[in-house]
Amino acid sequence: MVREFNIVIAGVGGQGTILMTEILGKAATIEGLKVRGSEILGMAVRGGPVSSTIRVGSEIHGPLVPEGKGDVLVGLEPTEALRNITYLSKNGIAVINTRPIIPYTVPLGLTKYPHIKNVLETLKRKSRSVIAFDATKLAKEAGTPVVVNMVMLGALSGTGKLPIKNETLKKVMKAHFSKEMARINIKAFDLGFEVSRNLAKRN
Amino acid sequence: MLRDLAKGLPGERVFLLGNEAIARGAMEGGVQIAAAYPGTPSTEILETLAQASKHLGLYVEWSTNEKVALEVALGASICGLRAMASMKHVGVNVAHDSLMTAGYMGVKGGLVVVSADDVRAWSSQNEQDNRFTAKQAYLPVLEPSNVQEAKDWTADAFELSEKFNQVFMLRTVTRINHARGDVTLGKLPKKHRKGVFRKDPSWLTHVPTTARKNRPLMIQRFKKISQAVNRLPYNSLELVDEAKLGVIACGLSYAYTLEATKWLGLDGKVSLLKVGTTHPIPEDLVKRLLSSVEEVLVVEELEPFVELHVKAIAGEENIKIKVHGKDLIPLIGELSTRKVTEALAELTKAKLPIDFSRLDQLRKETAPLIPSRPPALCPGCPHRASFYAIKTAAKSVAKNYGVEPIYPGDIGCYSLAVAPPLETVDTLISMGASIGVANGLAHVVRAPILACIGDSTFFHAGIPPLINAVYNHAKITVIVLDNLTTAMTGFQPHPGSGFTATGVKTTQLKAENVAKGCGVRFVEVADPFDSRGAIDIVQRALMFEGPSLVVFRRKCTLMELQEKRKRGEKVVPYIVDAEKCKQCGVCIKTFACPAIIKKDKNYAIDDLLCTGCGFCAEICPYEAIHLRGKEHGERI
Repeated sequence: MVREFNIVIAGVGGQGTILMTEILGKAATIEGLKVRGSEILGMAVRGGPVSSTIRVGSEIHGPLVPEGKGDVLVGLEPTEALRNITYLSKNGIAVINTRPIIPYTVPLGLTKYPHIKNVLETLKRKSRSVIAFDATKLAKEAGTPVVVNMVMLGALSGTGKLPIKNETLKKVMKAHFSKEMARINIKAFDLGFEVSRNLAKRN
Repeated sequence: MLRDLAKGLPGERVFLLGNEAIARGAMEGGVQIAAAYPGTPSTEILETLAQASKHLGLYVEWSTNEKVALEVALGASICGLRAMASMKHVGVNVAHDSLMTAGYMGVKGGLVVVSADDVRAWSSQNEQDNRFTAKQAYLPVLEPSNVQEAKDWTADAFELSEKFNQVFMLRTVTRINHARGDVTLGKLPKKHRKGVFRKDPSWLTHVPTTARKNRPLMIQRFKKISQAVNRLPYNSLELVDEAKLGVIACGLSYAYTLEATKWLGLDGKVSLLKVGTTHPIPEDLVKRLLSSVEEVLVVEELEPFVELHVKAIAGEENIKIKVHGKDLIPLIGELSTRKVTEALAELTKAKLPIDFSRLDQLRKETAPLIPSRPPALCPGCPHRASFYAIKTAAKSVAKNYGVEPIYPGDIGCYSLAVAPPLETVDTLISMGASIGVANGLAHVVRAPILACIGDSTFFHAGIPPLINAVYNHAKITVIVLDNLTTAMTGFQPHPGSGFTATGVKTTQLKAENVAKGCGVRFVEVADPFDSRGAIDIVQRALMFEGPSLVVFRRKCTLMELQEKRKRGEKVVPYIVDAEKCKQCGVCIKTFACPAIIKKDKNYAIDDLLCTGCGFCAEICPYEAIHLRGKEHGERI
């Protein structure tokens, strides 16, 4: 049985970070794993940064991933991944959606959004392994950009590190969504899984 | 999506949110009446109970505020039913008046108050350690360390409350309420009690003689509880032979402590006292720990509550020992495994498992690449349009005064208007304080004063200060931002919504009628999306000689969209006509809807975010924004 596996999911309010956490947690529970997690709701859902954690294993207790102990950092938005980079362990993997979401403060001239290349290069320099791709594009391919969270869930599994089976995740997805939405979400999951698995092989 | 937990079978393992677990615990503990006012991080407790209410035959309500919620629960307890009131930490302040006397009275049916303390003020105006409130009211406190305990201990709290004849407090922190974990369900009770009210003024009528009679009884009961907690399973002492260090870990801190000791290789090398009853603390267990080690570290979130009690015990018992706590465990921010690890490493001189300074360095290095991302009012939010009109009107009237208008603000989604470009929240203190503070300002400064308050907040605490303005001639304008729901916490109904927590249709109160009844002589209703009309109303309200009130009414956009989706209606977004757009930037500089984006110099509308409200088209000076598929700006 896995002793400790830590996932940090970072994104922007409205991207479906929490749903991703729920699906992971339910699937882990079905597989008989001990699960802990946490999330921040409230003010943060109004377009602010959202982060959540999911931890599985026999040696976990607290709801939060300790800094420097994350096995996978899933970034639904590149700068949000960077905001949480200190959670990643030395050998951790960062799985990143390269599509930026520009805060409303940028056109107002109150803050600057960095050059995306710069963000990705920093992420690559600071973590051992990075799987980065345009997940929003794949979500659109699956049917709608809102399923970007399921593309990223697939990508998380595509790393080969997740101690939860795809079939269990899909079972939970089928129970959660209506038939048509389940089909789109599972398609998104599969697309993310394939891309991530191929990129992981190259790393 | 919260699930109907009444259907969970005993022994079943489910993945639950902390608040769902607390709700299930209440069901298992035989709760029959539950009342609350929404507030992060407590809201989902009552929502989950509301869902289960029909199946289990519970009475569940959203009360107008936390004081009323507690009193509803108290009324049920007096009649012998088990009852619960759940609230966020600042809600306990609202309930405080009745809570204090409830402590004197004790209970008939088990009564549990949940205080959800929002550590780090993720979604609050302050941070509070309500164990101090519990102490003042002589209430015992249970503080779970994980989601399973949150469920189990809530269930137990009802039994304990009856056994010891006292109101019990379940104190949680955000990382329990909004933590998730696998939970094994217990049994649901089959029998329901029937409530009976028996007159007993010597117990229930707190005239001074009753208070004087009940106080020694309350103190006696508390002494019994103080003895009993040493044997209750919520506390446990693991003494390690020859350990020099003892750790006292309270509530959730126990989880961090277990991980920190393991990470440092100290597990099995320090003596550990887990404290689940943080008030009163298990004195006998504390004494045993203090006499067996050379140093002690108290780990707890927020204030040094247990630490002070441990120090008192050490002094009283004349045990010469150094008691550490907030000298090593930060007073500021949430606790974490890292913080406990660092404190333990400093005490034991153990080597840190990883180089934390490297992580701090990394954070510093990457900071310039991370944009600030403040939360914002949603695209299409009527509040943004309301504030646009309020500000425009106030500025024009302010010219007569020669000073800027003042906007005392309140608590809800509309608090977000503090940010540029709206900047219409000059104060934010507590529920209802917009109108209260406006009263004070009116007697001090000569300026247009616009107290802006949401619908739910108005019913919660806005009415007494409104009456005060009428009574004491405070020349203020109250703006009620009515979106027909408690939006910030996730669309809970309130007295202005027309239905209850369990979806039952009810009288729909209107703020304008309340204001008229309170004696306000200028009362009008505006449509946020009719800016010209709204500006005119606010101007006239500001010019009125006495207190005035304007209701801005539009359903919350998120609810509106949800209903549209259900009806199968499509949202038609607006677009920017690149030829007509002069790049003046008025739309962003004065309105800043997140759906309006700028690519290089060109303005555009994100069709995924646009809700089709059309307000930007109305304020564009060049008529460059129109509905997709329409040549000219024609609003729907």
